[in-house]
Amino acid sequence: MRWRRWLGGLALVALGLILLILPGVADNYVLYVMTRLFVYVLVALGLNLLTGYAGQVSLGHAAFFAIGAYTAAVLAERWQWPSVLCLVAAALFTALVGYLLGLPCLRLSGLYLAMATLGFTLIVQEMLLQLAVLTHGSEGMKVQPASLLGLTFDTDTRKYYLLLVVTVAMLAVARNLVRGRLGRAFLAIRDNERAAAAMGVNLARYKTIAFALSALYTGLAGGLSAFIVGFLDPQEFSFFLSIQFITIIILGGLASLLGSVLGACFLIFLPELLAGLDVWQALVYGLIMVVTILFMPFGLAGALRRYAYRWFGIGAEPMIPRRLGH
Amino acid sequence: MTEILTSQVVSGLATGCVYALIALGFVLIFKATDVVNFAQGEFVMASGFMSYTLLIGFGIPYGLVLVATIVLSGFMGVVLERIVVRPIMDAPIFSIVIATIGASIVLRSSAGIVYGYDVLPLPTIFSKDPVRIGFVQFTAMDVGVIASSLAIMVVLYLFFRLTKTGTAMRATAQSQTAARLMGVSVSRIFSLTWAISAAIGGVAGVLIAPIIYLDPNLGFIGVKAFAGAILGGFGSIPGAIVGGMLLGVIENLSGYFFNAGIKQVSTYILLILVLVVRPAGLFGAAPVRRV
Repeated sequence: MRWRRWLGGLALVALGLILLILPGVADNYVLYVMTRLFVYVLVALGLNLLTGYAGQVSLGHAAFFAIGAYTAAVLAERWQWPSVLCLVAAALFTALVGYLLGLPCLRLSGLYLAMATLGFTLIVQEMLLQLAVLTHGSEGMKVQPASLLGLTFDTDTRKYYLLLVVTVAMLAVARNLVRGRLGRAFLAIRDNERAAAAMGVNLARYKTIAFALSALYTGLAGGLSAFIVGFLDPQEFSFFLSIQFITIIILGGLASLLGSVLGACFLIFLPELLAGLDVWQALVYGLIMVVTILFMPFGLAGALRRYAYRWFGIGAEPMIPRRLGH
Repeated sequence: MTEILTSQVVSGLATGCVYALIALGFVLIFKATDVVNFAQGEFVMASGFMSYTLLIGFGIPYGLVLVATIVLSGFMGVVLERIVVRPIMDAPIFSIVIATIGASIVLRSSAGIVYGYDVLPLPTIFSKDPVRIGFVQFTAMDVGVIASSLAIMVVLYLFFRLTKTGTAMRATAQSQTAARLMGVSVSRIFSLTWAISAAIGGVAGVLIAPIIYLDPNLGFIGVKAFAGAILGGFGSIPGAIVGGMLLGVIENLSGYFFNAGIKQVSTYILLILVLVVRPAGLFGAAPVRRV
């Protein structure tokens, strides 16, 4: 059994090395795509904490993403706050919004929760247009690159390393959280609310924590994205983005950190690979999406775990409940 | 003032009736098969284009086109269920939802490839000239859309109440196992449900496309209809009808009192407020929790 653990560790070290030396070998476009990937991984981690682990469906994450992005951008442009403070404020403010949204959502579950959060996304997008004093409305907003201790993150390589560090750190945080008291409480709520309450899990408290935590990840991702892209267009933060986010975690694998990463890879890399197909791109993308889910109904991570167990005896047969949020 | 208001209400009711039809499609499939079909709006879009091609391309008379569109749309529903949904009926419900979202991307981009992304004019038999009776002002189109929608709802109701197949469908919705034991072919009922839902979506497409627009993004109307179904209580047929109509009227009225931006989101603000008070919608039963 021990060699398998060694093998896993070795693969991880190899992957880490590749990610570290990538800016030396890859061109700027690849780095830009990778940076976007990291942003999506952050969102997927946040959404998976809420939907995958705690079982609360959210189609409101485009709104959290937008709130994070605009908070960072407005603080940086209007009041010239230092970038670090902008990012921290973006994450914390979004977490606060997530907490507040979580309160009325306590009574909702399943489809009703999905629709309420979808409504939240649409309302926030409209607010971005209406609050033109702060957000410049439909004109969009320019954002200067982030800077930290005299270092400006204006090249693709610097942006790449910034995002790599933040993403790995937040991945480690998520890993610790889901393996601890909080993660166990989330899973208990997802699997059976009554049983969880009977075991002493405070439902209201942990559900709102899940919302706040999830929003924190997504707001941070939004803030980082604002500094990286350098321009905010309110059209970007449509409900379609929310659907993309939820697609990431379902295609990747619910309640799986690996799944969050794999799903983000799927959603970011696939359109890049299909870019040459011109008008056929969306069609082929949709087809691949359908086929993937037909053959891997438990997502990429679920399939990976299933075959790792069946073929190599690694881990255990994955068990995923059919119904979520009911 | 009153004329404008009443005309806003009537035209809102017309759009709302179409929302209600699409919402019915959502609810019928959900009740019978426990699946939420996010490609429901795509039936509306596809049937709009089908009737456009038949009318303009082949010059077939309107009545025939209507029948052909309903049949073709129903057939599309059956095919979608067989290919995309049935193979993963045992999968987590989210995976099925994602499969239908994938299918809707395929349908939307196919329409884009064939017809392009410009708005096409779909003819209608109803006149758009305003008519006035007393304080109430409306167009023949409003009344035509409302009457057609109500007619379909009545036909559906009679079908579910009076025919043997309709009874079998209600039985399946209540308990698949019991229905199967009574000799109902549940698999055939599933196909039929999808066919009916898609056909209703088809009618909705023919009715709404002349009012709003016909382009590959017409399918996004499904989001509003879904909101209507949720507002009424997902899984409740009267809920879908009332929710859809309510949504249409409120949307139109808020467009009159506020600006166009507010019009787009007013319904969602209302929806969230209703859900806070009634977490299972207006007509929805509180979800049964299995312990």
